Amino acid sequence: MRAYLARRLGLAALTLVGMSVVVFVLLRVAPGNIVDLVFQSAGYVDLAQKQRLAHELLLDRPIAVQYLLWAGQILHGDLGPSYRYGRPAWEIVRPRIPVTIELAILALLVSLAVGLPTGIVSATRQNTGADYALRVFSLAGLSMPAFWLGMVIILVLVRVFGWIPSMLYVSAHTDLRAHLLLFLFPALAAGYRSAALISRMTRSSMLEVLREDYVRTAWAKGLHARTVVSRHALQNALLPIVTVIGTEFTFLIGGLVVTETVFNLPGVAKYLVEAILWRDYPVVQNLVMFIAIVVVVTNLAVDLLYARLDPRVRYG
Amino acid sequence: MSADLRRFAQHNPLGAIGGVIMLLTLVAAVAANAVSTHDPTRTDAAHTFLPPGSSHWLGTDHLGRDIYSRIVHGARISLAVGITCSGLGGVVGGLLGLLTGYGGRRAELIMLPVLDVMQAFPLLVLALVMTAALGPSLVTVIVAISVPLIPRVARVVRAMTLSIRETSYVEAALAMGANSARIVLRHILPNTMAPLIVLATAQLGSAILVEAALSFLGLGVPEPYPSWGRMLSVSAAEFAVRAPWVVIFPGLAISLVVFASNLLGDGLRDFLDPRLRI
Amino acid sequence: MAANRDFLVSRLFLKWGRVVLKVLLVWALVTSAGWAASPVPKVGGVLNAMHREDPPSLSIHEEATISTNWPMMPCYNNLVLFDPLRAQESPDTIIGELAEKWEWQDGGKSLVFTLRQGVRWHDGQPFSSKDVKYTFDLVREAPGVTVRLRVNPRKAWYSQVVRIDAPTPSTVIFRLKRPQPALLMLLASGYSPVYPAHVPAAELRARCVGTGPFKLKEYRPGELIEFVRNPDYFVKGRPYLDGIRFIIIKERGTRIAALQAGQLDVTMPQEGSKTASEQLKKAVPSLVVVVASHNINDNILVNFKRAPFTDPRVRRAVSLAIDRRGYIQAVRQGGALVGGSMQPRPWGPWGLSIDELAGLPGSGDPAKQKAEARQLLAEAGYGPGRPLRIVVSTRAIALYVDQATYVIDQLKQIGIEATLEQVETALWFPKLTRGEFELGANLTGLGADDPDANFYENYVCGSSRNYSQYCNAEVDRMIDVQSQTLDPVQRRRLVVEIQKRLELDAARPILGWSLDYYVMWPYVRNLVPHQSVYSYARFQEVWLDR
Repeated sequence: MRAYLARRLGLAALTLVGMSVVVFVLLRVAPGNIVDLVFQSAGYVDLAQKQRLAHELLLDRPIAVQYLLWAGQILHGDLGPSYRYGRPAWEIVRPRIPVTIELAILALLVSLAVGLPTGIVSATRQNTGADYALRVFSLAGLSMPAFWLGMVIILVLVRVFGWIPSMLYVSAHTDLRAHLLLFLFPALAAGYRSAALISRMTRSSMLEVLREDYVRTAWAKGLHARTVVSRHALQNALLPIVTVIGTEFTFLIGGLVVTETVFNLPGVAKYLVEAILWRDYPVVQNLVMFIAIVVVVTNLAVDLLYARLDPRVRYG
Repeated sequence: MSADLRRFAQHNPLGAIGGVIMLLTLVAAVAANAVSTHDPTRTDAAHTFLPPGSSHWLGTDHLGRDIYSRIVHGARISLAVGITCSGLGGVVGGLLGLLTGYGGRRAELIMLPVLDVMQAFPLLVLALVMTAALGPSLVTVIVAISVPLIPRVARVVRAMTLSIRETSYVEAALAMGANSARIVLRHILPNTMAPLIVLATAQLGSAILVEAALSFLGLGVPEPYPSWGRMLSVSAAEFAVRAPWVVIFPGLAISLVVFASNLLGDGLRDFLDPRLRI
Repeated sequence: MAANRDFLVSRLFLKWGRVVLKVLLVWALVTSAGWAASPVPKVGGVLNAMHREDPPSLSIHEEATISTNWPMMPCYNNLVLFDPLRAQESPDTIIGELAEKWEWQDGGKSLVFTLRQGVRWHDGQPFSSKDVKYTFDLVREAPGVTVRLRVNPRKAWYSQVVRIDAPTPSTVIFRLKRPQPALLMLLASGYSPVYPAHVPAAELRARCVGTGPFKLKEYRPGELIEFVRNPDYFVKGRPYLDGIRFIIIKERGTRIAALQAGQLDVTMPQEGSKTASEQLKKAVPSLVVVVASHNINDNILVNFKRAPFTDPRVRRAVSLAIDRRGYIQAVRQGGALVGGSMQPRPWGPWGLSIDELAGLPGSGDPAKQKAEARQLLAEAGYGPGRPLRIVVSTRAIALYVDQATYVIDQLKQIGIEATLEQVETALWFPKLTRGEFELGANLTGLGADDPDANFYENYVCGSSRNYSQYCNAEVDRMIDVQSQTLDPVQRRRLVVEIQKRLELDAARPILGWSLDYYVMWPYVRNLVPHQSVYSYARFQEVWLDR
């Protein structure tokens, strides 16, 4: 087990380095950099000043040199300056991280709270009206563009109630109720899609398991329906669900980008888009690396959880 | 083939419905000029924001362009992007999966980290960075969406390849002196087709949704191609209350096509191998 | 006889008493009516203002966008400013801020300012004439000044300034090469704050040290910019507001919803579209909508240096083909005016009247003008057999794209096959500066409604923002002449001539001057949108009636 863990961690580190190189190169290959952007708001470009600025920001060195400089910086714990705001990138990114994490967790909770029960009901009442209705509901969730859902929610809220969630971030200390209200609708919008996937996964997994011999034995033994479902079926059905949660988390992060934009939450995902558009290299790199770390750690955790849940799985 | 189709329609009515919708969309896309009622790029200052009616079936937008025709032509782009991306992802991913699954230790050592890196990026994030890197154009969007799909396909194909490699068929073939290429082509490839098809259909929906999200953020397929995603983007939000049809119909179009592709994928999966879990 | 006298006195007293009472009554009525008409401003409250994006930086002198002026004007003062309470900006509405009085001397070649005493910067340092000299020497890149602004879009405004003298701490003299009456208008623009000499200009990109009515409290990138009242402001009793919060919301639909829900009190200038205002007014009838002009025009950049636009017939054809009124209806939903290169009447005094516009491309019968365009193209050698194929470039922003889309469709109708090229923000201005385009769909904003602010930046040979590379020596001469002309009537005549020439030459065909439908909640008082977005955000007089 220890060897497995070590190997996985090693692989994870390698993956992260690989990702950092990919992002680094992609950004610098992109035409247009922060120097061009600085001039765009002024409406003209002065070549001499442009060169001076590029030199100041180290952008005129070869890419490999820039990468090494950046890597060295990171290993010293310095995440570099934000080209856009002129402050340390970490200072800009740090307050946004808890917002995204909170939204991601809440969306996941919503998806579990909605997905698991609907999946179970769908499976135990297979091919009934309820099943079809729930399947359509979950399929709709997978088919709808996430930002469209967000837009529709805001439109409905303002039309019917004349109210929308606060556009300014309210922390939990300041006002818990407003804070929760702030996250409610974005979590619903972002969680709907994951709920749909989890529901489908749960349904098919449960169907599988319900047909297994040991479950039929349990029925035959006359055990109560709920015991059968919860003790035997659900536990085994949980495995693929856990895997799906892992991969779904990656997709969730992508969905957070548009959700945060529509609901104006000051999170990492929304800021990523802006930083990309502004070619704020240090910030983009930091954000993508942060997302990468979250994804890699989640995958590792999921695999380990898989091992705990299924005694048949052995990692060597 | 037709017997199979009939069986499919009989046992999986939902899947068949999905297939029919996809087919209709394909026809509309291919015969866009014949099916539309107006020129989708023609602006008409005198007839902006017309509600759905007899002259404009789905109304007009803020520039006076016919929404129905734009949706029909938009089908072209959305399907082109969707099919190309899932196709590319399927082909390249399939090849890589076969290689990694069959190639042994060395192939694994090189390919796995690469696949891991590509998969670690959330779909939208990688697409964003790539579009920013390559500039907004149709080709860029296709590349930017295909690349993240590749590792997801490769993984599945790799898993299948690994398991098939261990079967008795392959052992027997090896014993009879068949070389690697023959084994791959004869035994492995046919058996991976089914999950590949299901996966490709599922990815079609994802590709269309990601394209819509990219357009919403301003990085998708540029004008003059009428993209459904762009019809929903920032400016649309402003007109949504005054002329809801501007926002409703493109959103419905996207949802319907993705819905249909998901139905088709489900149906195919149930039909080809009900025990498949993807 | 005492009784008689008493009687007389009391009679007198009563008589006059009644008169006095009547006078008192009338006075009370009048003043109470006055009170009802102009309520006494209440002190206190925080204004929540809309903002659409992060300002590129906090330094007004280094930017050319309302995204910086709107939040940063409360922090600074100018020498002179357009009266915030008067919508039409003109030389008559200029009031003093840091300058108490000013005077033209030397036949119009010297402008002498007498500065206010006792003003302090937000960090406590005293303000004096050396700050003024420092600021404008910096902006005009005076010889001998080694410090430079990182980006300097308005250097051309001060090209006639030879020297700035600061003989006493409260006197500043601008010495010019030749008279330039426009200089006062340029100094009154929101783009001309006074910077502190003791703070490096680079620092002002990220923080604010000014003399203005509000101090910068906090800037949370992507979220908000917050200001609090400056307790030591040199105008006693101002500002009325305790503070201002500029809340940054990038999504257009969400911004509008936030205003409707009351989370925002006022719109942002340039963001007030006609459709949004109609929708808001229908939902909340008590909202106040003020129609004002942006002083921003939608235009087409024609690359004079690239074939086929080297041929004046082709240039003319392009300008004739585009129906201006149709453009205004389609792309601006009716919320714009047709005009020449200066803001049209009644919003701007220099604009062309209807008669003056008649006969210029875009203002006549659209069908006839398109026919004329087709003929010009045929003369230039293009027709159905040999169609002209060009690329229209524009920024990847919805409004720009709509503009280009409409133009492309209009060109299609005269046989030109145009495709659209969407250029990302980062690449737009470098592309324009390098001349790598054929036609461009563009917006141009003017910092002050004065010909000097417009012509020198955009039309003079070799100017850095003259992207079309239009160069006409005759027009340059006319621009110089009008800049020195002191008689306003004579000056206007010259400016009208110049505008006509520019439209006939298709230097930068103007498609329309957009209007701002500025929406605010009724309890916001004394925020008066001007006929120009860039100069009314001082917020000194604004108060909340609740």
